[in-house]
Amino acid sequence: MTTDRSWPRASLAVGVLAGVAAFVMLALLPLSASPYMNLQIALIGAYAVAIRGLDVLTGHAGQASLAQSAFFGLGAYTAVYGFGHGWPASVSLLAALVITGVVGVALALPAVRLRGFAFGTITLAAPVIAVPLANRLTGVTGGSQGLTVSALAAPEWTGLADDQWHYYVVLVIAAVAFLLVQNLLRGRVGRGLDLLRTNETVATAMGIPVMRYKVLAFTVSALCGGLAGWLYVVLVEFISPEALQLHLAVFMLVAVIVGGLRSPLGSVIGAAFYVIVPEVTDKVAPGRSYLVFGIALLVVMIFFPTGVYGGLRLLMSKLTPRAWRSRPTTSTATDNIATPRGATSCDDEALSGPSPRSVP
Amino acid sequence: MQFFQQIVDGIASGSIYGALALALVLVYRSTGLVNFSQGQMAVVAAYIAYSASNAGLPIVAAVVVAALASAVLGAFLERAVMRRFEAGSQLVTIVVTVALLICLNGLVSLIWGADMKSFPALFPTRDLAIGSVRFTMADLGTIAVLVVTIVVLKLLFQRTRFGLAMRAVAQNPESSAQCGLPVGRLLMSGWALAAMVGAVACCLVAPTISLEPNMMDGVLVYALAAAVLGGLDSPLGSVAAAWGIGIAQNLVGSSLDFIGSDLQIVVPMVLMGVVLLVRPQGLFGRREVARV
Repeated sequence: MTTDRSWPRASLAVGVLAGVAAFVMLALLPLSASPYMNLQIALIGAYAVAIRGLDVLTGHAGQASLAQSAFFGLGAYTAVYGFGHGWPASVSLLAALVITGVVGVALALPAVRLRGFAFGTITLAAPVIAVPLANRLTGVTGGSQGLTVSALAAPEWTGLADDQWHYYVVLVIAAVAFLLVQNLLRGRVGRGLDLLRTNETVATAMGIPVMRYKVLAFTVSALCGGLAGWLYVVLVEFISPEALQLHLAVFMLVAVIVGGLRSPLGSVIGAAFYVIVPEVTDKVAPGRSYLVFGIALLVVMIFFPTGVYGGLRLLMSKLTPRAWRSRPTTSTATDNIATPRGATSCDDEALSGPSPRSVP
Repeated sequence: MQFFQQIVDGIASGSIYGALALALVLVYRSTGLVNFSQGQMAVVAAYIAYSASNAGLPIVAAVVVAALASAVLGAFLERAVMRRFEAGSQLVTIVVTVALLICLNGLVSLIWGADMKSFPALFPTRDLAIGSVRFTMADLGTIAVLVVTIVVLKLLFQRTRFGLAMRAVAQNPESSAQCGLPVGRLLMSGWALAAMVGAVACCLVAPTISLEPNMMDGVLVYALAAAVLGGLDSPLGSVAAAWGIGIAQNLVGSSLDFIGSDLQIVVPMVLMGVVLLVRPQGLFGRREVARV
């Protein structure tokens, strides 16, 4: 029940080469690209952190959450407050993490007692309450106008422009966050989450502290959301309640599923989808971009029900010679957040296979 | 009697949430997923009613036409889009219904434009007063329509063969198919019914809040809360929960000053949170049972 643990050597070599190439490209890009391009790529990095965090909760722990945008906002407002009051960047970063962590645990403790759609609807409360609250507390949040700050200025010794400096800071911090999350998921916690997602009763029976792991997953997700918000402010130097509407929460959930659950690359793809596709649809069909975006989503889901990353892997496996193919990985049958309807039959298929709804 | 006035107003606003919540529950019971585009499908119906009314039909006839059209839309969407996803991952169905929401929103903007339009009133604008409690005819009409809808649905499900067939498919599609029931058509009917209920809900609220593509977004949040609070598989429960939410919101909103109109949404959220902690399956829902 793991992810891509089994790439055979040839694919591994190709993967490593591709990774190194991507790394070099990303490292050298800002030196020649426009500030706009740097901003877009760094934004993808920032959102990818939030989406990876959501992936821990939704993809690994199996709980669809709509609260990520609220934590994003919390981190962002902390960043704006810190920069606005002259705090050093590391202090506001730490503050953002601590605040989102504390709120995350506070929200998680009651919420994890719920499952499925009930859990999702409870997490809905977070962004729904956060936006009017942000509008109200004008003293701290600047109300509906939002607040502008000038964040990190590039230090003299680097000789970089501000936008390039922001790019590097954000991508490095994002990479560190991804590494930390991956480290967490590879160990006991990751395996525990995989099991409790598949079958919570069995996990409890095996002695996995299910509630504690769920709270942990929720808190990690919240921390990532807060970090992403902080990174967003470094890049965009502005936040307002407008940016935190419910749409963001829904789109983050959509992005994590579209990109590919339980996969770091999937989270990046999801973030890229969220940042790039609306731009593209706006150019392709101005005035109809919403409709085209919706159609794009539908098309992606029809052809890649396991997410773009899953689809790419399938494509890759069809293109590689048989001898090089990797073993099959987890099915999406575990991606149900509520008990499948009619799951009363005795066979194992009802629990680990697809929902027993076979429409003739 | 400020108190009773608040209660009456609460039941009236709760009826709108209740109608959409009823649609959500119908879809959940028939196809096992939460349809995030339920509100948007209702908006399409309201715009159809608007066009029909502009073309000369009396508004009530226009609403009927719109309801029938949305039934066709609902059935079509279930067959053409949702059918392939119903057996699979629920997370994917969330994305697909959200994609439908976005598509329908864009479609409405494209066909009718995104500017606010006024919707003709369905009920005469008289006011009634019993004692010191005032009702508008629209409030009474809304509550009456919802009650009639519930009664009709109850009769449909409990007393007709069609309703029995739908219940059978919802509970056990495989056995239903083996008994010769047309499962596909029954699933489509579930979506068609839900779409009709949603259409009526949106047409009822449209005179008050004016037509615009995003008009049901706020109502959808309340409807989701009501459906989950009442129990996703309990139609009566979700309507009762919706009324409760409407009443609580009014009572708390008027007695606590710092909750203005923007923070009103806090009340149902807190209410929902408290109830779900005690009863995770919702007030009237059935406890989930899974065999290990």
